[in-house]
Amino acid sequence: MSRKLTVVLLAMLVLAGAMSLKTVVVAHSDGSIIMANGGAPAPPTPWKNGGAPAPPTPWKNGGAPAPPTPWK
Amino acid sequence: MPGPFEYFIWLSCTLLEIAVVVCALKKGAIRKYFLLNLYMAASVIVTGARFHVLTSRGFTSPEYVYLYYYSDALLTIFLYLALSSLYAHVFSELKAERYVRFGTLVLLAGTALFSYGVVHESTTKLISRFVVELSQNLYFVGLVLTYVLWAAILKLRETRTQLIQIVLSLGVYFSLFAADYALRNLYPSISSLFISLLQVFGCFLPLAWAYTFWRIPEDARIVPSRLAVVPR
Repeated sequence: MSRKLTVVLLAMLVLAGAMSLKTVVVAHSDGSIIMANGGAPAPPTPWKNGGAPAPPTPWKNGGAPAPPTPWK
Repeated sequence: MPGPFEYFIWLSCTLLEIAVVVCALKKGAIRKYFLLNLYMAASVIVTGARFHVLTSRGFTSPEYVYLYYYSDALLTIFLYLALSSLYAHVFSELKAERYVRFGTLVLLAGTALFSYGVVHESTTKLISRFVVELSQNLYFVGLVLTYVLWAAILKLRETRTQLIQIVLSLGVYFSLFAADYALRNLYPSISSLFISLLQVFGCFLPLAWAYTFWRIPEDARIVPSRLAVVPR
């Protein structure tokens, strides 16, 4: 039981480390890491697999140019 | 719309992915590194589907957009499972496969829960946001896990060259994307250059793995501590 709890603890530590790293990266980015809004072809995200060109994000509605995010 | 260069890189990447599976088959490593090869095979299949939809529906069509991001999340999960299988290889002598499997599931579930926690207040496209968020978070988890695995390899004095080469190339692959992203944000004026480099970086992993399966014998040994410690 204690070994399983150790595994859970390690998994949570890794998750916390990874999310902290992500938070640091996103905090210092221009916001393009999460969603590629705008009329220009969307930049590929750094976590993409394979060599296929990346399209815009799937939740872009309509064809109008996207404004900056309200919290910027 | 992608140009001839993008198509060329995409084709090269796909050929290298096929080469990984073929080399593994030829050298009898397909069972040993089954999840790695499954990831490569899945990537080839996804590439075929993406190419079909891209040419028939267009670059900005919703079909391609959804296919791209949903399949990307699927591939990231495959890569995560492949990484966990490398953990099982490294810790095989400690008889810890059971715990590695358990840890893999716990971490995957934790990442999924965290991703849901991030996007659950979104009012639109909740599933799509969740899929992309999960893909991103698994990328960072994979990045951290790869470095932890490298530390474990050094600590346990793992000597299997093939395994070391696979783990190191995975580390370089993750790091290349991270470095590219960092440089893109540091120098936004030339971000298009870094964006185009991403496709080239995508070819690195299949190239390194194909080389590993083709050139490095299964019984080859190396002392990884020599890679980390510079003798005086």
